[in-house]
Amino acid sequence: MGFRNANTVIEVRNYSFKYASSDKETLHDVNLKFHEREITILVGPTGCGKSTLLKSLIGLIPHMYAGSWSGSVIIDGVSIQDRKINDLALTVGYVFQNPENQIFMFSVERDAAFGLENLGIERAQIRERVDWAMSLMGITDLATKPPHELSDGQKQRAALAGILAMKPRVLILDEPTSLLDPHTALELIQLIRNLRDQLGITVIMVEHRLDLIARVADRLLVMENGTIVEDGKPREVFGKNSPSLRNIGIPTITRLYQALNSSRPTGNVPLTVDEVVDLIRQKQRTVSA
Amino acid sequence: MYWVASGFIFRRTSSPIHDLDPRVKLLISIELFSLALAASRMEEVALVFGSILTLALIGRIMRRLGKTVLFALGFAVMIFLINIFVGYPLVSAVEVAARFVTIVGSTSVFFLTTSPDELEHVMKWFRFPRDLVFAFVTAVRFVPVLLMDALQIMDAQKSRGLELDKGNPLKRIKNFGPILVPLVVNAVVRSGELAEAMESRGYGAVKKPTTLYGLTTTIKDRAVVLGSLLLSIPVLFFFIVS
Amino acid sequence: MIRFEKVSFHHPNGQMALQDVNLEISPGEITAIVGENGAGKTTLVRHINGLLKPSEGEVSVLGMNTRKVSIAKLSKLVGIVFQNADHQLFSDTVSNEILFGLTNFHFSETASRQRLEWALEHFDLKDYRERSPMMLSGGEKKRLCIACILAWEPQIIILDEPTVGQDYFQKERIREMLVEQRDAGKIVIIVSHDIEFLWPLQPKLIAMSSGSVIAHGAASEVLSREDIIQRSKLITPQLLDLWKKVPLEGDPPSDVKEAAERISKLSTWI
Repeated sequence: MGFRNANTVIEVRNYSFKYASSDKETLHDVNLKFHEREITILVGPTGCGKSTLLKSLIGLIPHMYAGSWSGSVIIDGVSIQDRKINDLALTVGYVFQNPENQIFMFSVERDAAFGLENLGIERAQIRERVDWAMSLMGITDLATKPPHELSDGQKQRAALAGILAMKPRVLILDEPTSLLDPHTALELIQLIRNLRDQLGITVIMVEHRLDLIARVADRLLVMENGTIVEDGKPREVFGKNSPSLRNIGIPTITRLYQALNSSRPTGNVPLTVDEVVDLIRQKQRTVSA
Repeated sequence: MYWVASGFIFRRTSSPIHDLDPRVKLLISIELFSLALAASRMEEVALVFGSILTLALIGRIMRRLGKTVLFALGFAVMIFLINIFVGYPLVSAVEVAARFVTIVGSTSVFFLTTSPDELEHVMKWFRFPRDLVFAFVTAVRFVPVLLMDALQIMDAQKSRGLELDKGNPLKRIKNFGPILVPLVVNAVVRSGELAEAMESRGYGAVKKPTTLYGLTTTIKDRAVVLGSLLLSIPVLFFFIVS
Repeated sequence: MIRFEKVSFHHPNGQMALQDVNLEISPGEITAIVGENGAGKTTLVRHINGLLKPSEGEVSVLGMNTRKVSIAKLSKLVGIVFQNADHQLFSDTVSNEILFGLTNFHFSETASRQRLEWALEHFDLKDYRERSPMMLSGGEKKRLCIACILAWEPQIIILDEPTVGQDYFQKERIREMLVEQRDAGKIVIIVSHDIEFLWPLQPKLIAMSSGSVIAHGAASEVLSREDIIQRSKLITPQLLDLWKKVPLEGDPPSDVKEAAERISKLSTWI
């Protein structure tokens, strides 16, 4: 597996976390390395600890939540529990589930500038970076629009622009497409993939809609009860006959392939309709020959 | 559904008044306000009110100013009645009421032509604490959002058989529980998410945050400042002396 | 039966939200309303229990003109589960949350108890009866919201985006619930753009765009039309896509099991 050689961006080491309000650990002894330029998708049933893990990667946990923890999350060789969250903002960008709650200002461009203003970046550079981020997200023409005039898809892009303007090396997204229609969701996923391809950003996201996004992921992590139970390329993970896969939404087309090949369940499984179309056509040709 | 919240939203318009530096607009408002306070005779009040109307005409805010004035008129009538009741002569009671309407009108010139954006800049210019300015910005930004929440909650509970206007007064007050509880819970959850989003975007990282836009004054702004001062100070002086 | 006749709706500020909508929805089938955000889906749904009254035309629900009946009276027959669970949960306990609707609709003490027990049992909420609804997980909250509505046994059940934020396990349960209600002869309406969730249900589909109904018919027919897919911002369900692309004979299969059986009959699949 090629990605094992890539540089580690974030490392989670023997990390456990228990909320003060809960009587058991939400994350239990998690060990993970996130690699540069990789798109990682995190899935698992509700309550398995996905959001807790995401928030731990940027220090929102344990800094903003009462609870006890052990182990460490390390970015650039420094444990983030020892750093301030706003100090990490230039390294790790976090896009929350609901874009409405992360657009603060009265216009798209001013909101895109919000983080840079907070960090005391000088005006000329803010201007440059804001324009860059808006053009990356294809929302330059919306620059002066107030948030309430934006569609859900545009809000999500505006929220992303506000994060990208800070030029983070890692982008974390919590269910970025959950409010979007399939078409707009697919566009957003494509946009995120371009960010990785063009800028080399490392992407970590929680998503339920595997039908749409399994194909763009380099790596799939399956969580259950606060631990990582599966870890690999989506094709490999889906190919395993693991019971933990029953609780995540494997793409319809992948399930069809598996139903057709129930006698040999392992190996690389297809993720898209086109791949299965090819397989069936090949089959038809060999049968007719 | 959005139309309901639209009353709370500032629409960006352009006019010779809107385009002025917000500090200049504030100055004009203060001048008019002082003039209205100092005006003691009916024709003086009329002069100030006339100036406000002229500015409203140039700024194309006549209709919205009209609404404000109408609202103030309600209070003015009350003030008028109280004055009569206390035993002031009719003329002076009318004057007091008219002055009240004019005072309200003078502040409207500023608030009706200044966007929340500009207001934020003015607050910063006056060195209001950053947290206070930010609290103002988020409050204005989320008023329509919370209003939408409230409407959706009302729809949800009405669909579960809640009848807000049924029953005795006590029951009616109780009826608001199913609306208020989710509204408050939602607002708390939302503010928690906002706090996290602020934190992750570096809020409070440096003592002196920068801004993408600042206030810039043009020649036109300066001319308006000079002109308005030259006009209003002598008039004000005259009002006070008379 | 729900009937929309030449229904238009505009907001008090003049903004048009529904335009000349003509519809008939019958019991015993699932109807899915699709379309991009702002297409008028939720406005349409709010007409069915009278939250909104048409500006022009007429909406009749189970023989009643919605203009002439109160929201409360209609709501007893039309249960709407709104998208955001946090917009409706307010009680101190799960039991009281379910009892809220039953009390509003004047169920007797014994009938209320009976329906409460049914709802707790049926939606797997028994262990939570004394718990605060706010402390439940997202999936449990959604289940509770559905339980609250089904408790009073409405004839018509409407769900607004029930799968948003739900994991695979919850989605499967919601799907089962929909089928069960359909088979019980109810009118089931679901607003959703989760096309892979909808496809196995083989619903009647109503596609909307800027306030108008642009298609109404069997899912396989409506979704075969490229123009509808584009205007509704959908993507083709994977099984339908496969059937069209290969192409394979017959109607597209509704679920994986059926698809696998039919493909393996075509050729001896190893």
